[in-house]
Amino acid sequence: MNARETAWRLFSSELNSATYEIKGVDEKSPSYVVTKLGAMVNRVLIAGVLTEKENVGSDDEPMWRGRIQDLATGNFFINVGRYQPEAAAAIADIDTPAFVAVVGKVRTYTTDDERVFVSIRPERIVKINEETRTQWILDAARSTWDRLIMMKKATSAEDISEKALIGRGFNERDAKGIVTALDRYGRPDSTTYLKSVQTALRTILPDKNIDLGLPEDMSDMPDEIDIEFGSSGSNNAEIEDIILALLEELDTDGKGAPRDELERRAESDGISSMELEEISNALMDKGLVYEPNLRYLKRI
Amino acid sequence: MNDEEMHLHFEELKKELDGKISDEQLMKELNVYLNEYRVTAEAAKRGIKRKYGADGLSSFMTADTLSKKIEELKGTEMNVDITAKAIYVDRKQITVRGNPKTIVSGILGDETGTAPFTIWEGENVDLEKGAVYLFKNAYTKLWNDRVQINLGSRGKAEKAEGVRVDVPERTIIADSADTKIGDITEGSGNVTVTGRIMSVEERNITVKGEPKVVYSGIIADDTGKIQFSAWNNYDLKDGESICVKNGYIRAWRGIPQLNLGDKCDVSRVDDSFGEIELTSSKRTVAEIILAGGGLDLSVTGTVVDMRAGSGLIWRCPECNRSVLSGECTAHGKVEPVADLRMKLILDDGTGAISAILNRKDTEKLTGVTLEAAERLAKARGDSEIVAREITELMIMKRMTVTGNVLNDDFGPMMIVSEAVTESINILAEAERLYNEVEAAL
Repeated sequence: MNARETAWRLFSSELNSATYEIKGVDEKSPSYVVTKLGAMVNRVLIAGVLTEKENVGSDDEPMWRGRIQDLATGNFFINVGRYQPEAAAAIADIDTPAFVAVVGKVRTYTTDDERVFVSIRPERIVKINEETRTQWILDAARSTWDRLIMMKKATSAEDISEKALIGRGFNERDAKGIVTALDRYGRPDSTTYLKSVQTALRTILPDKNIDLGLPEDMSDMPDEIDIEFGSSGSNNAEIEDIILALLEELDTDGKGAPRDELERRAESDGISSMELEEISNALMDKGLVYEPNLRYLKRI
Repeated sequence: MNDEEMHLHFEELKKELDGKISDEQLMKELNVYLNEYRVTAEAAKRGIKRKYGADGLSSFMTADTLSKKIEELKGTEMNVDITAKAIYVDRKQITVRGNPKTIVSGILGDETGTAPFTIWEGENVDLEKGAVYLFKNAYTKLWNDRVQINLGSRGKAEKAEGVRVDVPERTIIADSADTKIGDITEGSGNVTVTGRIMSVEERNITVKGEPKVVYSGIIADDTGKIQFSAWNNYDLKDGESICVKNGYIRAWRGIPQLNLGDKCDVSRVDDSFGEIELTSSKRTVAEIILAGGGLDLSVTGTVVDMRAGSGLIWRCPECNRSVLSGECTAHGKVEPVADLRMKLILDDGTGAISAILNRKDTEKLTGVTLEAAERLAKARGDSEIVAREITELMIMKRMTVTGNVLNDDFGPMMIVSEAVTESINILAEAERLYNEVEAAL
């Protein structure tokens, strides 16, 4: 059984500070961005204010980028291509600023100087009212708090292996997420996430003097992601040619070009893995290439 | 290869081929295999035996066969050898494409675990309960998260003489554990359940051509309820409480059901459940996924997507199947009847579940009536427009749905009997969270 991945409710502060992604190899092992609080995130449900949107593609092949502010200082970054047709159609009709909710898959993106950004590819983006937005803030705050408590509980014992955690009543997903997070990032600095919870509560209850006794300086928020897609038509065609040439070169045994090799080579030619996927999808649509299996791509 | 070794192989082959080939020819073949093509002696002997039709050669294998313990099986093995004890054996007559066929099924066990097996060509197979067998060239599948061992036409079950396999007691399924109804999952196996009969009725059914009476209904305790079927007459009455020892759980499309079979023991007891509410049992999606499904469950979540097949659809007037372009798969060209439905995806943060809502609930929740939907589709010349419109109305709605949960390829799926939108008191909930956080810091 292939149950659908759950949609995590989390703040941008938690999502954007994640730098580790478990890359899936096929449909049965999806990719997960692991946050410092141990959430294994494949899909998210987020809400906030769509403050900016820009079509960096063309009218025929739109590629929308957008920025959604969840709390006073945090932003989610979204990318909608033509492989998310419902979301692409929806975002075209939304004027900024607007309260929106997004259900989508998360991806990490590494810049040349090794900085990791997380972006969201919406499957759905809808306009919502302020009440629904407030409700989401509450859900995300509750969910963040639950993860903080869980992390604290997990690290309170000596043995923090997956097996030990499951033995102590954690479910498999949480145990794996927590162990992976501790392994990659060490113990999380809870102040960052408590601040998000505090900001959330202040947003919902402005008249209550909410004070969790945290230092009041602003935490570091990641800069804007600037993912350059081959935006103009000619540029795209150029990249397509590079990819096609690479496919031929890497197809040494007639089985096609191995994906991972292709990805490495494309990257050294300055083509990001996200771009590569867009382009190979486009080439498949044009009937120029196909996938003999999930790990290979072959020129027709 | 030296002559002495050659000669040993020659003698072995000569015996097995039993005059099917002359001595000179056999020596020549061996020489070609071993000295010209330099294959291993094993491969040479197999090749020659196959070529000249020696008896007792197992069927042709292309992939390497592995030998595995039951615990190591993944459910994806195409070709595997398993040595295990037949804990339980059953012969069954089934019908395949109109022809009767005998299959042998049961449970195999070794030191590492147990797994159900099926021998699909069971005509001449006679397995002895308690004996150890080598299941050669078996393949495995996953069914409800359990590995199943299969022997097809390529496979063979051979008695493993002299091999001892000790199956640990606890893995033999016959242990019947005291189980709360709310904790029963499709893999629960044998259980002892104490519960109150909420309803019972007599049904006449036909089993293997014989008429039989089965008593079925609902039994409940303070944690949940489950459908039961009693295959003998225990004179069960509404409202009385019973303790069922050695009942067994079978799941139908993920919904566990309690069976009172020949081996079970039923006694009347006094329960301490007090008033059992016949309301549905509240669950999280993760709990439902763990259980595999269930009867009359209730879950609260947020609508995160709508699956294809939602909105304005067309049904066959004969059989109610949904039809595409006026063509029913069972009744051919029909005059289809319009209907409305939603296949929502509800997510509560612990998991996601599909929820199928009928016309009545779809109209109630969206405010779009069937007539309005038909008018809209006609005006736009596009029936997909309805799905798009109601998707926008439903996404991000928080709701509670109640119904029976089945399992299909997409995971758990609820046939919704009741759907209501939920509104929560955001301010009160936020204060509750604040108090909780403050108290913990």
